[in-house]
Amino acid sequence: MGDTKYTVNESSLKGEKTQLVTNEEPLMAVLQKDTINDVAANTCEIHSASKEKVEPPKLEDGEIVGHHMTKCTDGEGINAGGISPQEELLVQLTYLQTEEGIHKHACQAQKLKPSETSNMVRVQAEESNSGCSGDKRLEDKTVFEATECWDEYVILSGDVNSNAAGNEGVLLNPLLFNTQPHLDVGVQLDAQTSWHFPAGPGLTQEVQCPLWHFPVASYYPQLELTMPFEVVWREWDECNQKDQSSLIPFSVKKMSMDFTVMSYNILAQDLLEANKQLYVQCPLEVLDWTYRCSLLLKEIENWTPDILCLQEVQENHYHEQLYPALSQMGYTCVYKRRTGTKTDGCATCYRSTCFAEVAVTKLEFFRPELEMLDRHNVGIVLLIRPLIVQEAVVTAVGPPLCVANTHLLFNPKKGDVKLAQLAILLAEIDAVVKSCKAKGEHCNVVVCGDFNSVPHMPLHQLIITGELYYQGLPANMISGQEDQSNKHCYRHLRAPLWPNSLGINDLCQYTANTNNHTSESTSQKSEKRQYTREFILQFRYCPAACVRPQDLILIPGVTNINPENSRDDQQQDKRFRHILRHMLDLESVYKHFLPRSGCPEITTLHAEGGNTVDYIFYSPKRDFAPDQKAYGKSAGEGLKLTGFLSLLSEDVLWSMNGLPNHIFPSDHLSLLARFQLDINAE
Amino acid sequence: MNNKFDALKDDDSGDHEQDQGSPKDSEKEKIEDDDKEQIIIKKKMVVPGAGEHPLQYNYTFWYSRRTPGRPASTQSYEQNIKQIGSFASVEQFWRFYSHMIRPGDLTGHSDFHLFKEGIKPMWEDDANKMGGKWIIRLRKGLASRCWENLILAMLGEQFMVGEEICGAVVSVRFQEDIISIWNKTASDQATTARIRDTLRRVLNLPPNTIMEYKTHTDSIKAWEDFHGLVNASGGR
Repeated sequence: MGDTKYTVNESSLKGEKTQLVTNEEPLMAVLQKDTINDVAANTCEIHSASKEKVEPPKLEDGEIVGHHMTKCTDGEGINAGGISPQEELLVQLTYLQTEEGIHKHACQAQKLKPSETSNMVRVQAEESNSGCSGDKRLEDKTVFEATECWDEYVILSGDVNSNAAGNEGVLLNPLLFNTQPHLDVGVQLDAQTSWHFPAGPGLTQEVQCPLWHFPVASYYPQLELTMPFEVVWREWDECNQKDQSSLIPFSVKKMSMDFTVMSYNILAQDLLEANKQLYVQCPLEVLDWTYRCSLLLKEIENWTPDILCLQEVQENHYHEQLYPALSQMGYTCVYKRRTGTKTDGCATCYRSTCFAEVAVTKLEFFRPELEMLDRHNVGIVLLIRPLIVQEAVVTAVGPPLCVANTHLLFNPKKGDVKLAQLAILLAEIDAVVKSCKAKGEHCNVVVCGDFNSVPHMPLHQLIITGELYYQGLPANMISGQEDQSNKHCYRHLRAPLWPNSLGINDLCQYTANTNNHTSESTSQKSEKRQYTREFILQFRYCPAACVRPQDLILIPGVTNINPENSRDDQQQDKRFRHILRHMLDLESVYKHFLPRSGCPEITTLHAEGGNTVDYIFYSPKRDFAPDQKAYGKSAGEGLKLTGFLSLLSEDVLWSMNGLPNHIFPSDHLSLLARFQLDINAE
Repeated sequence: MNNKFDALKDDDSGDHEQDQGSPKDSEKEKIEDDDKEQIIIKKKMVVPGAGEHPLQYNYTFWYSRRTPGRPASTQSYEQNIKQIGSFASVEQFWRFYSHMIRPGDLTGHSDFHLFKEGIKPMWEDDANKMGGKWIIRLRKGLASRCWENLILAMLGEQFMVGEEICGAVVSVRFQEDIISIWNKTASDQATTARIRDTLRRVLNLPPNTIMEYKTHTDSIKAWEDFHGLVNASGGR
């Protein structure tokens, strides 16, 4: 059986490779699985069966893309399957078909799983996904191989996905489900080189980047079928998925969808050329834009994230290469170039088949009237809604999702400016979230970008804890980036961090009038002059409030208070305190250490060293007791992280001659995460 | 008790029960007709300044204090309550509020009242006579913050009960402080329940906080009983 699967795999790989790896274990796993009675098990069986039956020729396209997405979906789908009988049926049906050798359907089933769960059917997906299921399964098995050969591979979750019945299958299942996505890559590597990743130096010599035909993403049949693709040496980590679904009664209708988000600083060519000293270690050819661009597009295509947040996108490259290519891949793109003379900017793209745009705000952090905000950085805040597609027709839209993308100031000395830029971004997000709230909807948030700040230093701390006591901190310590310049003359931060005229308070929220979607305008929608406490409080010490009313009767000890007196205590307290806060609940996808080795993971590397400065933050789904969940109380609130593409350690990257190199086209790595979003069942 | 007795009359305002054991003292008491005229000094309606944030309603601050040593009398309440001023916008509110002492810093039997313009902080006012109030007793030290949160919620129309809200009172007493919010229709349970829930939320009250709803009719009756004025005219 294992062989068969492999065959499939290879076939998927266009048969170029001979499978070096034979996995008997995976097979066994599958077999065991088969014995399991529950749906999940069944599915598995079917899968395996299908694989067996799968003929290489059949599987041509789309698996790579399919893998990650599908995989996850798969596991989840099963979870969900436990929930709604319909889904189960669908799944089963699909599988049945598969069994009959109809790979396409299988594919669909899996692919659509996420969508099924959410009743989404992507037409294209349907048509183009052939043989996915087979592939997937293969991957599952491959997982095992991976585990064997790559001791690095960590299985995060030992949980049973949907196995109510806890038998051997329980253990196996998770494996199968968990590891798939990166396996694609891993397997191939394995098969070809048997190379042990962390093995150390000489990597470049040893590694023969296998050229294999990159199957066309199933969503985009128009792409060429064969492209040389170099393996990305990164692993996909499935997140621990406790299976609550098995606890949820069947009657509860719950749908969910999966989506993936990539954040990627792609290194603007102009910046590269202006800072060549940072890339002296790189072979010249990897610094060439045309070369980097092709690698970049392949990488994007490989993962086909549903949402793509790019930084350092050079304007001409955006218009000439990236936008056309991304459009062709099915993305809708929003671009914002930096103000000033720099030629790059941010681009946020989303797959038009998955999301519909509700609103876009392009933020400029440069404020000519404010001395401190003199830097030309930008951000994009997007409000989108997932499309729920049934039989090629959009039947509904899911809950709103706010996607923010930014590239904060680099200058390590200007921590205060970074904080102010961040505050502007957070205020805009807050306004978007409030505008949804005013309509009774919960808006989940994903914040991506290059924050030019390292983990657990003040700026990062503000984001993830929602609070930062900044008074007296040296400005060059805010980001934690190494300050190469003279460290002796640094400034200390003092309240207020920025003037009131910025229109943003110390809660990183807009104060009055600065923005359309502030609480004020929301309140006016209700046609009542309704003000929140926070709104009223911000006028406490406005000039008009400090003038003693002429008609105020003087009662000694009662009405002879001078506002200035109370101001010192209270103003610091209530107004611009020494603490900066924000009200968004954000968590980082990456934990900044590689799970196995405990080595720091890094997102960027150049001649002066490596660091983590890129992040994907998201509003996490907070745990509720299962019974609460059953009431659907928290439906749609919070995202569940179901997997992410692991980063690498500095050592490993140096062994590849640093960044950029022949595999990674930028001096940053891409960040990629997959989330699950609950959609209220109608 | 004697002291309390005295106290009742004078202070009053918002809360009754200022001292434990005493019947509710009068809130505002009985005012002779002529007195009434005085109290209601009709001012021209205040309006929001240019660019200010208008409130849904105009409000008036009142202040009252028991005069030490004076016997309770029907007049004393009225004599002791003073209009501090009226406002129509968020900014104007702060203008008054910032020049006023925080209730927690008040000494003696004192009350701040914040009522919609045109409604007197008395049971007898037309807007109040069918009404009642939610009462929350606070240990010392909490009054300033709770009062501020209460009135910000009221000014900001957070109670969402239409025009039902009449005003709010904070009463500083010897061992405790009391805040209350008055509404028009005591018999409207949906409204009173909503007010209660909003109170809990905006004051961030622990779930076990005791909240008491009292109709003004009961307050008056208690006051009259206590003073042996059942048949007297003032009370209603």
